[in-house]
Amino acid sequence: MALKQISSNKCFGGLQKVFEHHSVELNCKMKFAVYLPPKAETGKCPALYWLSGLTCTEQTFITKSGYHQAASEHGLVVIAPDTSPRGCNIKGEDESWDFGTGAGFYVDATEDPWKTNYRMYSYVTEELPQLINVNFPVDPQRMSIFGHSMGGHGALICALKNPGKYKSVSAFAPICNPVLCPWGKKAFGGYLGTDPNKWKAYDATHLVKSYPGSQLDILIDQGKDDQFLSDGQLLPDNFIAACTEKKIPVVFRLQEGYDHSYYFIASFITDHIRHHAKYLNA
Amino acid sequence: MEEEAEEAPELDRPTAPRDFHFYHVDLYDSEDRLQIFPEESSRMRREVVQAEMTGEPRGLAKRKPQRNLEEEVDELVHLYGLEDDHELGDEFVDENMPRIEVSEYPPYMTTEREPASEQRGWRLSGEAAEAEDLSFRVWGSAGKCQDLREAYRYTHGRASEEYECYVIPEEEDEEEAADVFCVTCKTPIRALEKVLDEHREHEVTPLNKALESAKDEIHRNMYKLEKQIIEMENFASHLEEVFITVEENFGRQEQNFESHYNEILETLAQKYEEKIQALGEKKKEKLEALYGQLVSCGENLDTCKELMETVEEICHQEKVDFIKDAVAMADRLRKFLETKTDVEISTQPALEDQTLDFADVEQLLGAINTIPPPSAPVINPQAPNSATGSSVRVCWSLYSDDTVESYELSCRPVRDSSPGKNQAEFTMTVKETYCLVTNLVPNTQYEFWVTAQNRAGLSPASERAVYMTAPSPPIIKNKEIRSCEEAALICWESGNLNPVDSYTVELTQADTPEASGVTESVVGIPTCEALVQLQPRRSYTIYVRALGVGGPSARSEPATVHTTGSYFRLNRHTCHPWLTISEDGLTAVRSERKTPAREPPPSNTCFSRCVAVMGNLIPVRGRHYWEVEVDEHLDYMVGVAFEDVPRQEDLGANCLSWCMRHTWASSRHKYEFLHNKMTPDIRITVSPRKIGILLDYENSKLSFFNVDISQHLYTFSCQLPQFVHPCFSLEKPGCLKIHNGVSMPKHITFY
Repeated sequence: MALKQISSNKCFGGLQKVFEHHSVELNCKMKFAVYLPPKAETGKCPALYWLSGLTCTEQTFITKSGYHQAASEHGLVVIAPDTSPRGCNIKGEDESWDFGTGAGFYVDATEDPWKTNYRMYSYVTEELPQLINVNFPVDPQRMSIFGHSMGGHGALICALKNPGKYKSVSAFAPICNPVLCPWGKKAFGGYLGTDPNKWKAYDATHLVKSYPGSQLDILIDQGKDDQFLSDGQLLPDNFIAACTEKKIPVVFRLQEGYDHSYYFIASFITDHIRHHAKYLNA
Repeated sequence: MEEEAEEAPELDRPTAPRDFHFYHVDLYDSEDRLQIFPEESSRMRREVVQAEMTGEPRGLAKRKPQRNLEEEVDELVHLYGLEDDHELGDEFVDENMPRIEVSEYPPYMTTEREPASEQRGWRLSGEAAEAEDLSFRVWGSAGKCQDLREAYRYTHGRASEEYECYVIPEEEDEEEAADVFCVTCKTPIRALEKVLDEHREHEVTPLNKALESAKDEIHRNMYKLEKQIIEMENFASHLEEVFITVEENFGRQEQNFESHYNEILETLAQKYEEKIQALGEKKKEKLEALYGQLVSCGENLDTCKELMETVEEICHQEKVDFIKDAVAMADRLRKFLETKTDVEISTQPALEDQTLDFADVEQLLGAINTIPPPSAPVINPQAPNSATGSSVRVCWSLYSDDTVESYELSCRPVRDSSPGKNQAEFTMTVKETYCLVTNLVPNTQYEFWVTAQNRAGLSPASERAVYMTAPSPPIIKNKEIRSCEEAALICWESGNLNPVDSYTVELTQADTPEASGVTESVVGIPTCEALVQLQPRRSYTIYVRALGVGGPSARSEPATVHTTGSYFRLNRHTCHPWLTISEDGLTAVRSERKTPAREPPPSNTCFSRCVAVMGNLIPVRGRHYWEVEVDEHLDYMVGVAFEDVPRQEDLGANCLSWCMRHTWASSRHKYEFLHNKMTPDIRITVSPRKIGILLDYENSKLSFFNVDISQHLYTFSCQLPQFVHPCFSLEKPGCLKIHNGVSMPKHITFY
């Protein structure tokens, strides 16, 4: 599990680095970005995992969201992995933008030919955190997760499937109910097979219904002018209804005029970092 | 040990008050007074002896300095008795007192030098320090002390340089440390020696024990000496007072005599003048009368002579003529002789009985030993802090020449009528030149005047002076106290009908033992409220005093302030008529009404449209936090508004208010965060039962939280140029309960 540093840039007193390593889980070379705040020079910091959306790489978040200042101030190590295995030479992996490369959907694939490499769920919840805990000054007891769109879906399921593992969770325009949306149906069908009951294990709205009730504070921002919202890809209302019923605390903010882009993320990234810092630095 | 030592000095105490009697009783009787000194000094000697007699007889050397002292004192007394010069009194005090101290201080001095015995913080006077050398001379060979010192020195091992003034005994072994104490020889020895030589038969004790007993001994002596020193110092200062007073009294008497003698001399001179003048006049009158008599006598003589001549002429004439003339002559002679010649001396040469009348002089002489009636005393203006709410201390002074037996103080309250010649309401007779007048009304002016009197009569009245009693204590309005983490706003009622000068707020931290008893005061507060700066998360006990000309009032009843979170109550003046505010001012209730009364008329103070009430938040720019307990199905608004928010508008419907609004309709909760009629679109999955509100002036933020799950709900960014107040509204029947004085949860510090 040797890490290879690809880049390192000073940013808000800390360092934005990118590493490459060979992933056992994904059976390929993977890159991830890690931001080390100034505080990490002297002590262990909480770790905050960011999961990006469709088509993104480890670069997208670190170049577009402008999260560094807030992370620097709150002293958070922010880790942004890639969104899928790459270069696995699986037939059809690069055919569409919403399936295969750049569209891992944070599930462990059970279907051939994907099941060898497309194990993003295990990668982000197990392999990557172990790697980070060993190689960087982070406190393993304090970690949180957030993401955007498909990454928002990933963040929600990671938190809901692992009660207590993450101190907090938040999401920008997450795919809240993938089993009911076109993206989810396509991806889950491809990775998990045709039985929709299997899909529910990776569906946030379904997971909420069986969530045991460990305290979890969920913050969701959603642009009101997000075309995928109106296309029915995101379905936050289903998630909110489920959370209301199960009394799982969610603050859902429908932001007037914002779309699905990183401009929207950049507008509220500080709120999200603060949301996590509140629990990670409590 | 100390209790034991206390007994001896205690015995002497009852004699002390005697000092105070002799001076007043026999002020002018010098013989009695002079006996005091030898008596006193011998008494003191007794104490010295008593204190030092701890078991061993004293050496002769001890007696000698005492005798010297006694002689000195006697000599002084003698000198003082003979000399009339009052300056001697000062000399006595200045020069001779230290010498008395010298004999009293040495044991004290030596113990002071022992580092191990500095258990008490004794003050070492400079005087005593100077006297130190002398003290060692005097005490050098005193056996007891020497023993103790030696014991000390041994216990401390090597003699330090501090002891270089003592004689180091020859037998001391510098090489080996002594470990036991030979009681018989009074010397520390090594245990080995005990077996060997001359100590064999002697009683020995462990060195520590010897050290302890030596220490005890010294402490006992120290204590006794301390007592004596204090007593002597008291006596010395008392003597000083006596001298000054005697000097003053004699000076006064001298002046008195002088003026009397001058008066008598003047009277005598006047009498002399009068007598001399009277005598002169009498003399003149008599001489004039005699002269007149002399003149008429001469005239008679001339007439006689003339007649004689005429008769002689007749005799030489012829007979006829002679007869003729003789007849005529005879008639003339007869006539002449008939007129009686006055030969009585009209004026007696002897002096009439000139009795000199010295009655008035005698009276004057007699008056030397009597006294004139006093002149009018001078009443002092009121001294600061001399009054309480019910009393004033009135002071006046007399002219130093006057002898006064008593004063009569008159008092009259100054009412609407101007101060003047009105009758006194009451009078008091006092012997002193001051009087504590009690049972007065607080914060009220009283006019005082005083007359002095003695055997000879009554003085005129003094000027009138107006004194004022201190105000009554104010009454803190406990229900109007507001506070936050940094400050508290205290309001009170004056408690006085008349205006007072100012108020003082006193603060004591109640919960920190290390700071207990420390009282901070905020003074010069002109109004009946004060904003006081405090430390966060403490408890304070607060008192208020009113300050008048006469001084400060007593403390008000205490009020308690906790600087945890912010504390306020609902403001009934802003309350919509449909709302009821609880007694504690923390709960607003809208009761069920089938047919609500019509909307109330617009008002400037009460909310008339939305059923709301405002809280009275302390006007301090900082961070304020409070919580509101709500029912999940209640329609309510909570937030803040400027004081001048329009009362006929809904909260959040204008630029002057910010609020979170909850509505419960068709089984759905709706949350709005309203300002200027606008709200973000926010959905909240868990209905808060308790809402935390953070008002942060510094960062221009207003944040709402679900307290139970520490969930951040929303944050307004709001410019707050003026102070805002919490607002609460009930859109449907129900109740809101405010939780005040709660500390800010840690998580809210992120917002």
